[in-house]
Amino acid sequence: MSKALETKELVKWYGKEVLALNKVTFDVDAGDFFVIIGPSGCGKSTLLKIIAGILDYDSGKLYINGVDMKGVPPYKRDVSMMLENYALFPHMNVFDNVAFGLKMLGKDKSEIEKEVKEALKLVGLAGLEKRMPLELSGGQRQRVALARALVINPSVLLLDEPLSHVDYRLQRKLMEDLKEIHRKVGNTFILTTHVQEHALSLADTVMVMNTGVIEQIGKPDEVYNNPATVFAARFVGEINLFSAQIKSWDGGLCYLNTEIGELKANPKNKNALSSGDKVAYAVRPERVKIGEEAKLCDNKVEAKLVSYYYFGHYMEYVFQAGNNTKIKVSVPTEKVGNLTLGSTYLLGWGAKDALLIEKPCMIEGLDIEEVIYGK
Amino acid sequence: MGWGDRLAKVYIALIILFIYLPVFFMIFLSFKSGSKVSFPIEGFTLDWYVKPPSGYEYSAYISILHDKNFFVALNNSLYVSIITALLTCLLVTTTALALRKRIVGRDLLFYLFLLGFIVPGVALGLGVTFMFRLFGIESSLFAVAAVLTVYTVPFGLILMMSRFDPDLALYEYAASVLKASPLNVFRRITLPLIIFEVISAAIIGFLLSWGEVIRTQFVMKGTGTLATYIRNELSINPITPKWFAAGTLIAIIAFIGLAIFAYIMSRRVR
Amino acid sequence: MCGLSAPQLKLGLIDRVARYSRYLLLLPGFVLILLFLLIPLSMIITISFFERFTIAGPENFTLKNYIAFFTSPQTPVILLNTFGMSLLACLITFLLGYPMAYFLVFRVKSARARFFVVSLLLVPFLIDWSVRVVAWLPILGESGIVNYALMSLGVIKEPLELLFGRSALLIIWPQTYLLWMIFPSYLALTRIDPDIINAAKVLKAPPHRVFFDVTFRLSLPGVVMGFIFVFVSALGDYITPALWAGGIQTLGLSVANYAANFVWPYAAALSTILVAIALLILYLLLKVVDIKKLVY
Repeated sequence: MSKALETKELVKWYGKEVLALNKVTFDVDAGDFFVIIGPSGCGKSTLLKIIAGILDYDSGKLYINGVDMKGVPPYKRDVSMMLENYALFPHMNVFDNVAFGLKMLGKDKSEIEKEVKEALKLVGLAGLEKRMPLELSGGQRQRVALARALVINPSVLLLDEPLSHVDYRLQRKLMEDLKEIHRKVGNTFILTTHVQEHALSLADTVMVMNTGVIEQIGKPDEVYNNPATVFAARFVGEINLFSAQIKSWDGGLCYLNTEIGELKANPKNKNALSSGDKVAYAVRPERVKIGEEAKLCDNKVEAKLVSYYYFGHYMEYVFQAGNNTKIKVSVPTEKVGNLTLGSTYLLGWGAKDALLIEKPCMIEGLDIEEVIYGK
Repeated sequence: MGWGDRLAKVYIALIILFIYLPVFFMIFLSFKSGSKVSFPIEGFTLDWYVKPPSGYEYSAYISILHDKNFFVALNNSLYVSIITALLTCLLVTTTALALRKRIVGRDLLFYLFLLGFIVPGVALGLGVTFMFRLFGIESSLFAVAAVLTVYTVPFGLILMMSRFDPDLALYEYAASVLKASPLNVFRRITLPLIIFEVISAAIIGFLLSWGEVIRTQFVMKGTGTLATYIRNELSINPITPKWFAAGTLIAIIAFIGLAIFAYIMSRRVR
Repeated sequence: MCGLSAPQLKLGLIDRVARYSRYLLLLPGFVLILLFLLIPLSMIITISFFERFTIAGPENFTLKNYIAFFTSPQTPVILLNTFGMSLLACLITFLLGYPMAYFLVFRVKSARARFFVVSLLLVPFLIDWSVRVVAWLPILGESGIVNYALMSLGVIKEPLELLFGRSALLIIWPQTYLLWMIFPSYLALTRIDPDIINAAKVLKAPPHRVFFDVTFRLSLPGVVMGFIFVFVSALGDYITPALWAGGIQTLGLSVANYAANFVWPYAAALSTILVAIALLILYLLLKVVDIKKLVY
C-alpha cells in the first residue's frame, strides 16, 4: 500500500511559547479515510494547514506521494482543502466557485463545464449553478466547498472540521454523503473533528491528538477497545476510570487495589505489567450491569444512583460508589428497569471487560492520577 | 419615527446646512452685479461668467470664462489631482495589503505613513523647497503630486485597512490551495473584493489634493494650480464676485463628476 | 492529480520572489515617504541649526535661531494662538461633528441614505478651499448679510466685527474641518459590533451609560484620529488666519512669512517647533487611545 502522506517529526511553534506540533510523525495510506480527532487547540487544524501549504513548519519533513514539500507553495501541491467556514468566494456564483480550481489548472471550457456539472451532481446540488453563496443555506455552502475541493481530483483531500457548523440532522446526512463520496472517488481523505462519533463512523484509520502530540493511531475499533493512553480512552467514547495499583497476578487474571475496593481484570497486555505498577483501570459504561445480572459478575460494587440522562435509545445512569467515585452505566432503553434516585444498587462487570492502561498520555511528565482526575 | 430619530435627522440637516452655508452664498453672490462683495444686493447679472473683457480691467474684473489664466490653473489642477489620485490609489493598495499581516516593524511603518499627514503642510513644504534647492531639482507638476500624495496616503490607508473584510485572507488561502498562483490570487480574488476601497482611495486622493493650498504653494511654480492661483489673486487683488463665479463653475463640474461616480458606486453599496 | 509530481516540481523565480511579496509591496510607499517626507523633514531640522542656507548648503552651525524664538516676547502669544486656537477649534469641531457621525450610524437606517449624506458632505470639498473661505466675507463681514440683517432690523447701530478676530477662526475652522472629524468617527462607529451594545442594554444599563461606557469608548480610536486630523490641519493652516483673522499671529503664519522673505534657517526652526508640537499631541493622544484598533 503506497503512502499518500508521510510526516516525520514535524515541529511548529507559534511565537516563542506555543508549541502547536511536537515532533508529529505519522503516515496515511493512499485511498484511506483518515480522521484526526482531538480537542480544540490540539494542533489538528495547524497540521492540516501545514499539509496544504498555507502554513509553514519549523522543522521535520513532509512528503506527499513521496515528494518532499519543503518550500513548495500550495498551488503546486497535489492537495485540495475544504476550510472550516468554507470560504466560498463571495463575488462568484456556485458554478464559478467550483470551476475555479479547474480554471487555474488551465483546463478548457467544455471540460470545465462537464466536470463542474458532475461534481455538483455528486454532492447533490445540480441546478444551483447560478446561485450566489449568500443565497445558500449552511449545508449547501458546505457541499459547494466540497465539490470545489474535489473537482480538481487531488491525491489528498483535506477537510477541516467540515461538520462543525451544521445542525445535527444535517451532520448525519453529510457524514453519510462523505462516506459515499469517498467510496466512489477513492482519493485519500484527511478529516479533522473533535466529535468522536464522526471519527468512529467515518474513519478507516483514526488518529487521536492531544496538544501537539499523537496519542494513538489505529482502526476505529482498535482505538475504541484498546486505547493506548488514558487520554485516548477518555476522548473516544465514554469511559469509567479509576486509578489502581496492581496487587498480584494469578495466571492471566490480575488483582488490583482501587479506591472502590479490590477489582479483577483480564487484560491483553499482561506482559507489560507487573505487581506494584500504577495503572488506570477502565470500564466502558455499556459493559456495566445493574442489579440481578451484576450478581454473576467478577467485579461487584455497591453504588448509589445520583443522576441519569435520557438519550433516546439509551439511558445513562450516574452512580456514586465509595467516597466520591462516579460510575457511569449506559443501558439500552428497552432493558431499563425501575431505578430510583438515591437508592443503592449492585453494579458489576466481567474481568475481561476491564482495560488496564499504563500511559496517561503521550505528553511527558504527567502523572497518571492527574490525567484521570483532571488538573 | 420616534422623536430620537427626528432629532437626529434635524441635526444632520443643520450640520449639512452649516457646511453648505458659504457654498450657497457663493453661488448666490456669483450673480451679483457690482464689484463689491457685500450687501445690500443691487442687481443680478451673468457678467461675472460671460462678459467679454474690454481689455482694460485688472484681472480681478475679467469674467471667468474669458480668463485665460483661470483655465491654465484649472488644467494644472486637474493634472495634479489626477496624478495624485492614481498615485494614492496605487500606494494605498500596496501598503494596505502589505500591512495586513504581522511583520517586523509593522507598527512603526504604520506610524511612519501616518506621519505624512501629521507633519503640517507649512513645514513639509519648506522642507521640500530646501530639498529641491540643495539638489538643484526643478519643481514640476509631478513633484507637486508627489508631495500631495504623502498627505493623502494616510487617509486612504486608514479607510482601506479599517474596511478590510477579515475573511479576505481565508479566501486567498482557499484560492491558493485551488492552484491559483499569487498573481491569480490577486487578480481574481483580492482585487475584486477590495475594488470599492481602491476606488475610494483614488477619490480621496483626488479630493484632498484638489483643495490643498499650502502644500502646493511651496512646490508650485508659474500659474500654479487652481488653489494657488486663486489664493494669489485673492491676496493681491480686490475681491470680486468673479471668484464666486469661479467657485460655482468648479462646483458644477465637480458635482456632475461626483454624481456620475456616486451613481456607479451606489450599485455596489454594502 | 492536480499538483505537480516530482520531476515537474520546480520552483521558479516567481515562486521564490512571492515569498517576499509582503516586503516588496511596501517598497513604493516607502520610497515615497523617504523622498518626500523623511528627507525634507531631516532637512528642516538640520538647517534650523545653521545660520545661513545657500545653494552650496547650510553654513555656520548655531543655536541662535532657537534662542531667538524662545526669548522673543511675542513667542508666548504666538504659541497660545497657535496651540490654543487649534485646540479650541478641535473641541468645537468635535462637539458638532461627533453627534453627526453618531446619528448617521445609529439613526439613519438605510445604507442608501447614509451614502447620500456622505456624498453630500463631500461636495463642498471640491470647491476651492480659498473660495470657500472667501465666501465667509459676505456672511460675516462688515457689509455682510449678518450685519446687514441686524442693522436693518435695528438690533445694532454699528456693524459687528465678526471677522477680524479670534472668533472668526472658531467659526471658519470647524466649518472647514468638520468632515475630518466626522469621517473617522463614522468609521469607528460602524466597526462596533451591535451585539456588544445589545449586551449592555440587556444587562440593564441606562442609555447614558450605554453611550459613554460602551459606544463612545469603543469609538475613541476614531475620535482621537479625528482630533489629530483637525488639530494638525488647524495648526498648519496659515491662510485662514492671514485672510480672516488678520492680526492673529500663528506659528504657521510666521513660518510662511519668514520663508517668503527667504530667511530660511529661522523659518526652519519655527517649522521644527511646529512639527514638534504636532508630534507631541500625537504622542499624548496615542498614549490614551490605541489608534491601531481602528485599523487592525
